[in-house]
Amino acid sequence: MIQIAHGIVGRSDLPIPEWLFGWAAAVVLVVSFVALAVLWPEPKLTRTSWRPLPGLSRVVLSRPVDLLCGAIGVFLLGLTVYSGLEGSQSPTANFAPTFVYVIFWLGLVGLSMLLGNVYRAFNPWRALGRAVSWVARTAARAPMPAPLSYPERLGHWPAAAGIFLFAALELAASDGDAPQTVAIAVLAYSVIQFVGMALYGVEEWTERGDGFGVYFGLFARISPWEVRDGMLGVRPPLAGLAAFQPLPGTVALLAVMIGSVTFDGAAEAPIWTGIAPDISDFFQTLGLSPEKALEATFLIGLIAAIAIVYGFYALGVRGARSVGGGFTDRDLARAFVASLVPIAFAYVAAHYFTLLLYQGQAIVTLAGNPFGFLASNPLGEAGTDIFGTAGRSIDYGVIGATSAWYWMVGFVVLGHVAALTVAHDKALTFYSDVKLAVRSQYWMLAVMVGFTSLALWLLSQANQ
Amino acid sequence: MSKGGRWGLVALAVAVVVAAFLIARPGDDEGDDQVASTVTAETQTETSPTATAPSAPAPPPDAPSATVIELTGHEAGEVSDIKVAKGDRVRLVVRSDAPDEIHVHGYDISRDAAPGKPARFSFPATIEGIFEIESHEAEHEGKDALIGRLVVEPS
Repeated sequence: MIQIAHGIVGRSDLPIPEWLFGWAAAVVLVVSFVALAVLWPEPKLTRTSWRPLPGLSRVVLSRPVDLLCGAIGVFLLGLTVYSGLEGSQSPTANFAPTFVYVIFWLGLVGLSMLLGNVYRAFNPWRALGRAVSWVARTAARAPMPAPLSYPERLGHWPAAAGIFLFAALELAASDGDAPQTVAIAVLAYSVIQFVGMALYGVEEWTERGDGFGVYFGLFARISPWEVRDGMLGVRPPLAGLAAFQPLPGTVALLAVMIGSVTFDGAAEAPIWTGIAPDISDFFQTLGLSPEKALEATFLIGLIAAIAIVYGFYALGVRGARSVGGGFTDRDLARAFVASLVPIAFAYVAAHYFTLLLYQGQAIVTLAGNPFGFLASNPLGEAGTDIFGTAGRSIDYGVIGATSAWYWMVGFVVLGHVAALTVAHDKALTFYSDVKLAVRSQYWMLAVMVGFTSLALWLLSQANQ
Repeated sequence: MSKGGRWGLVALAVAVVVAAFLIARPGDDEGDDQVASTVTAETQTETSPTATAPSAPAPPPDAPSATVIELTGHEAGEVSDIKVAKGDRVRLVVRSDAPDEIHVHGYDISRDAAPGKPARFSFPATIEGIFEIESHEAEHEGKDALIGRLVVEPS
């Protein structure tokens, strides 16, 4: 067996038992057919009933809170880089890998879905960009517009590329969990952020070009929280997805999001562990070192998984086009892409739920000694155990394997229902003819069932 | 379809799905308390040697059920799975032709191994999941450190 293990993972999931796989797949089919019969005939999510919450808004969107969140973000960015570069180089003893791969990458997905776009408030690059722009404006005593306007064609492509590179670092790079690698990747990403913000403006870039801004922003659209004209309010959950305006590259971004989790799941399954050594051997015969050959193999697997997800969605879109209405593939692909967001959420939640639950606990111990076994701790002796949590180990008893299975399957089924709802509602506004709308949804339904079955199958194949 | 009809259909679907779950789920009523008591009993006997003297060999030296992994140059060749149910005792012996430290992830138990002095593990499987067993020497040398996997299934 070969595998590039997440160096920070102490426990992996047992595959879900056959009976649960069969039951969940049956539920998905029942849900789908019931949905066809009972979903509303008039669009509901688009006629949003957004309700302002002035009291809460005054506190949450106040200047002190804004500054505090930005400062926390910048502090965590600095801590991650410093700890990664100067601290212990053991992935489990250093703050940086667990913070980036577990707390930031997975924790923020859940927080965005529950609390809205929290990443925007804590985004360290946006905070720094705004600070620099404030200083420049004050010094020049004049408004400083961005030198370039963000090109329409660029759309979400930089974001798709950013998330792809992150996934490649996490899943294909052999030292992707090494603290130093993490710190250097963070620095490189920071440089790209500063260049992007300098060229196109802070808000423009963070909303479209920043991979994490777009990624967490999409999940935040599932949540009931929305800011309109500087006022915080509530809307029905999922309504944010109905109002979403896709850009060039959005479909590719969703394919990267779902495809990378698919690959991470498949990489633990016999289908991949069976063929990976052969691909790796092939690369070695081409003259690559064993380590490089393994990286190339995993990179190919990652790209293949993304391509399969993209191709499958494109197939569904082709089908939906065949029902008529005079739309192009591109129109349809963009129209229904928002319905893939709950699917992407279900993939992340089902695959990484236990990792977040278990490894997430380690952050308390790591934060108490953020520099690992650093020779000269900047905080002195006291800085090796700030919270008195040094000896604490991860409590694996918080949830058993059986409960974890139910949670995973629950996420997948709920994601399926949410995706169907969003696609159905979109079809009603997109097609002027209700009959065409319904017929287009047979195809979208097939796409969703396909993605959901794949998610369940991956859960049943994990670590076998 | 009328509003009442819709809700009726949803209620019917929910009923079918719940019924299917109850039928499909394997019965787990028997044996539960029994297992729980064995776990506590075994934990008590085992925790003291584990905590105080990590290098001391565990009580039953070569129990017939122990899994044996042979390491040559810190590598096992084939990665073996040790499958147990939660509450069972994990018995593992790792023989090595060179000094090594063997680590069971998750349970976070380490034992030293040396030529003629195998690393012996004997502990109750209290956490469900899959846990990697690694050779720390192989890890230090940058080799594939995985020598086995502990698979603990729900009882």
